[in-house]
Amino acid sequence: MISILKIAWRNLRRYTRRTLLTSSLITIGVALVIIFSAIGNSFKSEVIGILTNSNLGDLQIHKHGYVGSIDNLPLDLTISEPNLHKVRSLLDNHPDVKAYSERIRFSAMVSNFSQTTNMRFTAIHPEKESQVCTDLVERIKEGETNPEIFVTPGSIVIPLNISKGLNVKLGDEIVLVATNNEGSVNGMTFKVAGISENILGPAGKDGYIHLEDARALLRIETAEITEIAIKLNHFDRLNQITLELKSQLEPIPGEKTAKPFFEVHTWEELSPFASISKIVTLLIVVVRIVLVSIVLISILNVMMMSVYERIGEIGTLASIGTLPKKILALFLTEGLMLGILGALIGKGVGIGIILIINAVKINFQFGMMTLSLAPAIPVAETFFSVITVVLISALASLQPALKAARMEPVDALRHV
Amino acid sequence: MSLILLENVKKTYLSGEVNVPALRGIDLSINPGKFISFVGPSGSGKTTLLNLIGCLDKPSDGRVLVAGSDITRLNRQTAAKFRGDNIGFIFQNFNLIPVLTVYENVEYPLIMVQNIPADKRKKRILDLLEKVGMSDQKDKFPAQLSGGQKQRVAIARALVTEPKLVLADEPTANLDHHTAYKVIGLMHAMQAEFDTSFIFATHDPKIVGEAEIVLTMEDGLITKTQENPVSREVN
Repeated sequence: MISILKIAWRNLRRYTRRTLLTSSLITIGVALVIIFSAIGNSFKSEVIGILTNSNLGDLQIHKHGYVGSIDNLPLDLTISEPNLHKVRSLLDNHPDVKAYSERIRFSAMVSNFSQTTNMRFTAIHPEKESQVCTDLVERIKEGETNPEIFVTPGSIVIPLNISKGLNVKLGDEIVLVATNNEGSVNGMTFKVAGISENILGPAGKDGYIHLEDARALLRIETAEITEIAIKLNHFDRLNQITLELKSQLEPIPGEKTAKPFFEVHTWEELSPFASISKIVTLLIVVVRIVLVSIVLISILNVMMMSVYERIGEIGTLASIGTLPKKILALFLTEGLMLGILGALIGKGVGIGIILIINAVKINFQFGMMTLSLAPAIPVAETFFSVITVVLISALASLQPALKAARMEPVDALRHV
Repeated sequence: MSLILLENVKKTYLSGEVNVPALRGIDLSINPGKFISFVGPSGSGKTTLLNLIGCLDKPSDGRVLVAGSDITRLNRQTAAKFRGDNIGFIFQNFNLIPVLTVYENVEYPLIMVQNIPADKRKKRILDLLEKVGMSDQKDKFPAQLSGGQKQRVAIARALVTEPKLVLADEPTANLDHHTAYKVIGLMHAMQAEFDTSFIFATHDPKIVGEAEIVLTMEDGLITKTQENPVSREVN
């Protein structure tokens, strides 16, 4: 076997042009798939990080049916005080829960006394919200950015486009008018304490007030809330912990029916970006298939050409008494070595380009978000690509190698 | 005991829908250690006969025994092994592997066929290259050699496995007259030194006289057997 390896390697070195051509094709394919995977995954994790750390949290708990009506921000689907206590005791003792933030979300009219528009609000305790949405204060471009007090009773954080549209600056007063669960309308005056980027919320019209102010505005007298956003210690355990929480909360029945009271959703079920994320994953798979096809076709083509070019050599090998299985092994080994060579160089080139991209620090706009491209070297992806290419190389070499091994020596010699 | 024994050997090729007889009933017995030539015009069946003796092809009818083995009964695997153990080949077009040096070409059968250890290989190859006068060219590639030099390398390659029989199909067809004589002379000398039987096919009447036994073929039959009292000095 060692002699076959040596001869195969010698043949690859001596048939230089063919070896360079094929291995460079494989190199390009492997490098592209590694780079594309790294960039795609970097894009995904960057956007997921922005969404979960600025707004959504890793997962959320609502009253059953809330997410189905989330566009209306219903105030009649709230988590009542007794049930809230149950969730609190569960989350307080859960080792995987890093922090959680209780919220009331509602719609309100906002007026600067001359113009009025509608907005969506998230009422929070800032210190708890900052533990869940750790990047939230970074999104506040003007005003208070202390995570403990970025919004206090009587103050409001509004997005940039509302600030511009209503011509409202820091320290200005605006009025919020909201309808509560029972249909009664109430209004309160707030002082603008912060102006945030527009990325928070689908239309960039989401603001923050203190939870106590929301209760006063909406005349909610108990400690009820509409949602709980949760931050986990380890994001990669999201699905497992979601399942755990679901199984722990499901037995708690509704107040009037036997159906479960709570529903638990991950960020993916709450954000349209989950679809984009899936498309990116799909694209990576497509690129992988293209890579595999490139490798398969190039090795198949080169090995077929090699067999045709070397019919005389095969005839000579066979006539001097080389066993067909050795001829098979020789051609198979050559194909396999081409695959390994191309894959390893491709891996090196791919990692090199990823390091260059990281050194250059590329920033780009995605919607209203500024993303910084920081592709991590996808270790699993590099191994997967290399192993796939090596297996495909063996597969692609098999047919030409079998052809060479099955060639009748007397026929092969006639081609000389 | 005969080294080669052919009994009523026939070979027919299918050309389109027509059966073309290449050999039409050959009976032949050749003893070991002989230097034999098949002579005859193109299409007389020389190459077909050599292919059958060389275990590269099978007869349509009859039996071929080489070194006591009925080679018509061998499958692909055992036929290859038989060739590797017993037969060396020299071709009209030399059939040297272009990407291998002279040394590597001669070494190839020892690695691929006989699995001889590297140290033993080296001694045997260098000895043989010395004998065929190519030791100073051992690092050259075939493209850097003349036709006569290539055929010398091919002779060394055929002999390196120490076969009982060397078959040479038109070994001088691509060589000029002077070189052809030298190559035949070298083959004869090697035959004497290694006591290996050499059978070569040729249509060149000038070199036929170098063989101990000349078998003339016409239309798939051996029509004449002639023994020459050859004694040739090789330079």
